[in-house]
Order: sequence, then structure tokens, then C-alpha cells
Amino acid sequence: MRRVGNTAIAAVTAAALCSGAWLLWGAGSGPPQPSAAESRAAHARQAPAAPALPPSPPDRVRIPALGVDAPLTGLGLTPTGSLDVPPADRKNLAGWYEAGTTPGERGTAIVAGHVDNAEGPAVFYRLGALKRGATIEIARRDGSTALFTVDVVEVYDARAFPDTKVYGTAPRPELRVITCGGGWSHDTGYRGNVVAFAHLTGVR
Amino acid sequence: MRRTARLLSGTALAAATAGLLAAAPAYAGEADGSGDLRIYPSSVVPGDRATADTAACGEDGTAAGDASAVGAGSFTLAARGPEGEATGEFRVPPGAQPGTYEIVARCAEGDRRVTGDLVVTLTSAERVYPRGSVKTGVGGALGPDPVQTAAGVAALAVAAAGGTWLLHRRARGDGM
Repeated sequence: MRRVGNTAIAAVTAAALCSGAWLLWGAGSGPPQPSAAESRAAHARQAPAAPALPPSPPDRVRIPALGVDAPLTGLGLTPTGSLDVPPADRKNLAGWYEAGTTPGERGTAIVAGHVDNAEGPAVFYRLGALKRGATIEIARRDGSTALFTVDVVEVYDARAFPDTKVYGTAPRPELRVITCGGGWSHDTGYRGNVVAFAHLTGVR
Repeated sequence: MRRTARLLSGTALAAATAGLLAAAPAYAGEADGSGDLRIYPSSVVPGDRATADTAACGEDGTAAGDASAVGAGSFTLAARGPEGEATGEFRVPPGAQPGTYEIVARCAEGDRRVTGDLVVTLTSAERVYPRGSVKTGVGGALGPDPVQTAAGVAALAVAAAGGTWLLHRRARGDGM
């Protein structure tokens, strides 16, 4: 009886030690990154596209698979021409490129948000874990909700960012959701971006 | 505006002056409401649809839109937004000439007039797209997910407790 007790305690202790060590040092300290299965190389058949909606600015972005539900603020461009970002101190705020296509309209709409800020994980921390086929909902000011289906999730290095692929126009309503990712270095911060590509498949 | 006036109508004596004073901050810095009508997209090609919306008509306010400057005639702005903004659509005629046009909306209640600019271009290629990567994180400074850290610390605490217990039993010579 006593011996069994000791064995059990030893087993629990060993398991707790291993899992504690793994949680603290082994599980990686960064946000999740997309796996090869979600990338363009593994391109599968896509859900049929829905007809384009009239333009209407978006108010909220929801990604049920990641538990994301965040308001959207308008974004412009920085002096160097890159997409500006929402204020970093509001961790549950995402943004959309206001001078571009509105989500649901024909063309490429762009949504961006922080992966983290100085306090911890932010709105799109888990974007890299998004799977092909997942739904992204954009609530629009005209009262409709545009439903997008994820086609691929990619990670790009900032030094070779494919502008046309990410921001370029499209013949159907498409959406890009962008956050930081692609490894982290002490000198330059995140090395690139995680980008989810999606297209309109429905309206609610 | 009208609501302000109604509130003040009870105070008969200073109604007129108070009304003026109350109205002043509401209009300060926005003159005739220019720019209060947001147009999406702000730049369109002839034949495209555009949406106008404004929060200036108050919650659940409607407005009469006038896009005759660009040849699109009048349209209605209904309270459809989540905060009751008035929103309406119009179609830019295929024959519209490139240029900047003033779109006007007049609130159904209060008679407030708001305007916004619509830019018509011949090719949508003039739209400016962002370039390069996006600075959407700081990283590193924060270490792992706080929940993960807490779980790790808790697990190590369990391990420490278990280890201490075992050592205790051994020291007492209990069944080891």
C-alpha cells in the first residue's frame, strides 16, 4: 500500500516536473506559426465564391475558431508606404485599410492587428494557428455580415514581402488578415508577417 | 440641434441666447458639416457603387442624400449601422467624368446638412496599395503566454511538493 503510494507520488512528481519544464521552456515562447499544410503549396479545392457586396465600411472582425471578436479602426499608410497599425496599447483592437476595398466588395480588403504588445498577447496572437476552411466574419456598417473562408495561411519574411500577392487587387471579394510573425530576433523584432488569405463565401 | 432647442424651450427667458450657446460647441470646428459624410470607397470608377454614411443625424436618424453633382440623383440614408448611423448607396453613372464631387446629405430631423467628397477616376489602378511588411508586434520582451507561464509554474510547484514529500518519507524510513 505504502509502496504504491510512493510510486504514485514519484510518477506525479516526474510528470509535473516534465510538463512544467516543457510549459516554461520547451513549448516555445512565440505565437503559433502556420504549418506547411496551411500554406499555398498544399492548395486544395476552395469553397465557391459568393457574389460581391456593395461597399460598406467594416465595424468588427470575428474569427470563431480563434475566439477573436474585435472592433475595427481605420488604418492609413506610414510615410514609407507600409500599412499603419492600430494603437498598440489597445490589445483587442484590429484595423482595416480605409483607403482600400471594403470587406465584401470586389477586390482585396486588408485587416491587420497586433500579435502582441508590451503587456502580452494581442488580438491576432493565434492567427498562425488558423486552419484552411475556417470562417472569418466581418460585420459591416450596412448591417450585413460578410463571411469569408480561409484559403491559405502563409508566413512571409519582411525582406521579401510579396506586396502584389498580399495587397494586389482580385477579381472577386477577398480578405487578408495580417499580423506579425515569422520568428523573432532581439535586434529587429518579428522577422515578418503571418497572412491569412480568404475569399467571400456568404453573407448574413 | 432640435433636441437641444426642445430641452431649452422650458426656460423661456434665455431660450434664444442659451440655444445659440449650446449650438456653438456642436458646430465648432466643423463649419457646415464638411467631411461628416463619409464616402466609401472615397475613389471610384464610373459605373461603380458608393456608400455614404454619417453619424451626424443622431441615433436612428435618417437623411436625404443628394449625389446629383456626379449625376447620380438623390438617394436615401437609412439608420442601418450598429450605432444607428444613417447609411445609403448610390451608383456613379457610367458616363461620369473624373474629378472630385461634393455629395450632400440632409438629416430628416434637425435639417442638418453634411457633405463628403467623392473622387471619380477613370482607372481603379490609381488606388494606392500598402507596401511591405506590417509592424504588428513587439515580441521577445514579454516571453511566453502568461497562462502558459502560470501553468508551468504550477506544475513545477506540484513537482517540488511531491519531491519534498518523497524525501520526507525516505528520511523517516517509511517503506522505501
